[in-house]
Amino acid sequence: MHRSSPSRHPTLLAGLALSMIALASCDYVRLLRPSVLKQLNPRVVRLVDELPAVDQQNEAIVGRLFPHGGLAHAEVGKDGVMRSRIHVPPNQFLWEPSVIVMPHGGDLELEFQNEDHNFHMAFLPSTGARQVVELPMHHGGRARIHLDQPGLYWFGCPVANHAGRGMLGLVMVKGDVPADAKLDRPKQRRPGH
Amino acid sequence: MKSMKLLMPNGALVAALCTVTACAHQPQSPVTEQGRAFTARDAAETHAAPDVASGVTADRIARARGEPQNWLTYYGTYDGQRYSTLDQVSAGNVKSLKLAWQFQAGVIGLIASPATFAFEATPIVVDGVMYVSGWDGYVWALDAATGKMFWRYRHAIPLDVPLCCGNVNRGVAVASGKVIYATQNGHVVALDARSGTPVWDQVFVDVRAGESATMAPLVVKNMVLVGSSGGEYGVRGHIDAFDIATGRRVWRRYNVPKPGEQGSETWTGNAWQWAGGTAWITGSYDPELNLVYWGTGNPGPDFDGDARPGANLYTNSIIAFNPDDGALKWYYQTTPHDVWDYDGVNENILFDQGGRKLLAHFDRNGYLFVLDRANGQLVRASKFGNRVTWGDIDPTSGKVTVRLTPSAQGTEICPGPAGAKEWPHASYNQQTGLLYTPVMDLCGTFTTSRQDFREGMPYWGGGAAASKEGNRGYVKAIDPATGREAWSHEFPHPVVASTLSTAGGLVFIGESTGEFDALDAKSGELLWSMQTGSGIHSSPITYSVNGKQYVSVASGWGGWMKGFAPELYGETRGSALMVFALP
Ligand SMILES: [Cu+2]
Repeated sequence: MHRSSPSRHPTLLAGLALSMIALASCDYVRLLRPSVLKQLNPRVVRLVDELPAVDQQNEAIVGRLFPHGGLAHAEVGKDGVMRSRIHVPPNQFLWEPSVIVMPHGGDLELEFQNEDHNFHMAFLPSTGARQVVELPMHHGGRARIHLDQPGLYWFGCPVANHAGRGMLGLVMVKGDVPADAKLDRPKQRRPGH
Repeated sequence: MKSMKLLMPNGALVAALCTVTACAHQPQSPVTEQGRAFTARDAAETHAAPDVASGVTADRIARARGEPQNWLTYYGTYDGQRYSTLDQVSAGNVKSLKLAWQFQAGVIGLIASPATFAFEATPIVVDGVMYVSGWDGYVWALDAATGKMFWRYRHAIPLDVPLCCGNVNRGVAVASGKVIYATQNGHVVALDARSGTPVWDQVFVDVRAGESATMAPLVVKNMVLVGSSGGEYGVRGHIDAFDIATGRRVWRRYNVPKPGEQGSETWTGNAWQWAGGTAWITGSYDPELNLVYWGTGNPGPDFDGDARPGANLYTNSIIAFNPDDGALKWYYQTTPHDVWDYDGVNENILFDQGGRKLLAHFDRNGYLFVLDRANGQLVRASKFGNRVTWGDIDPTSGKVTVRLTPSAQGTEICPGPAGAKEWPHASYNQQTGLLYTPVMDLCGTFTTSRQDFREGMPYWGGGAAASKEGNRGYVKAIDPATGREAWSHEFPHPVVASTLSTAGGLVFIGESTGEFDALDAKSGELLWSMQTGSGIHSSPITYSVNGKQYVSVASGWGGWMKGFAPELYGETRGSALMVFALP
């Protein structure tokens, strides 16, 4: 990849500024910072380059690359419950957002809105029993799930092959195990350090 | 610059980005449904299990051989014999054994370790109710006579849980009205045995350190004992005890000492911090001596011994400890300074012979160790593996002479990296006085490479590629009084299922290609066989309900196939518990 300086491309720079204004209230504006762009390695660039062709249904491939509905942080309520909203847009077989970040383990309340012309279901990981929410077209649903350990959990639409066409999502639970579960040894180096 | 073109195309970017949540306009629709358990069956058709578990106490488990209709603890009895006095199914009538019922769980959606999950659990049976665990956090309570489900429970397991080998669980423990198990991500969870709802939940390993859990807990007195997995991640192995009533931790013992502690002289520098010595197979227990016997795993890194000079205590050891506080009574290290990944985790079978209290341990290094279980003194070491080239062990002194070690360019050594016997268990038949063990006959090419430790990453210090050709398996009957083989039955692939021996003169065994077999305990002759459809890497049990004897086996190929039967990697998968009885 060629990392050209934005200053040598006045048109790009102007466009960048415009976009930043347009997206000032949006987290995604951070992606446009030169400092972020500089961090992109060639593999990530190739993925980003591929996106226009695989972020729509039935373009480069039959379905779309998942999880492609963006990322959102669950909000922690006064009651300690984390909450997030997930939207199903028309004709996309997509969860928006498709990556939900929980700052730590606990209860996550999800509110779904199905704006699609298809019947969907949300099939959710939860300790105790997996949960499912039916989402008839133009209806919503709500579920409270419990995830108590750091890691990556999968959710998806179990109707037909909606999952294969894009309706897969992830819940990322950040955080650590309780102190008394940790190994008695000095702090260790982790990968990348 | 291509990525810039993507990011700046005439406003399309803005439009595209604004479809995402942060900026999107979301039309509101009526919320019509609240989340519910996955199938209607969960809500409408499952029932409370009969209250059979509240009467199970440690005292009753200690006398479990007196109630052979039940399988009350992981090995059936505290002594680890996997021997049942049930004799309705016998060498004379086993030909008529038929499928009574089966339970199938399958897999829904994405799971951790999707190519290697396996059905390895030993069920527990109490007065007609069977409790069995699976991959990915599952526990089921079933009617042991019909297979009808009473309840199920699932602990959500993350996709990125640091498993070494497979998404597996080897079983639950039952006591005081609770079903207790260790989840793959290291929670000890106690469920109400009637309803399957959680009573307490304690975290006992650190997934960020590469730890996990796969073994079945052991109930001792008022406690439940669990051991850690993760020996391929440079962890410090440990065994923890929790109070059954409250879930409160009673003690934790590390299997590898810190500097200054007893045994630390067998380590140098910081190596103890990544020392291994995990405890991923359930121990056995002698209530009279008040000693728990547990096997410990390989040191870390697995193959690069130069990274950890010394004997590396108490890795690859049989340890005997006091269950009240976890204090070590004695140890016997079967493979000092292991550089072949010959974990010493395999079961310890307690039996008495000639007035002596003995212990038998088929080690992965290819030798059977018979010890005096009161003091850990060696009675005899004898070779049971077919091809054993890594070294020799003197039968009476136990002195180890190493012949072959891993090298940078690779060394061909036998047995292979999973040893001459995988974790599945041997049994001891009180009628014949023989031990029956599954055996793997394969070799491997072992290499070393220097590796810096990084927390949460595999820490092998090399690798081992198991041989793909010429691999064989056996069930061997061995006389513990002499170490000699009474008979041997050969199979076309390594045998990685547990044996079950019964007073009906039978030895049950599962094959890696799915056959479930009954052998004559006296001769090893094949008397009955049934194809279950997927390889068997589990432990058959027997029990009875209303006077009818059942034999069950979990069928579902997986686990560390690369180590124990690489020629069968990618074979058909399954997840069925099959239960047999006479018509
Ligand atoms: Cu759908």
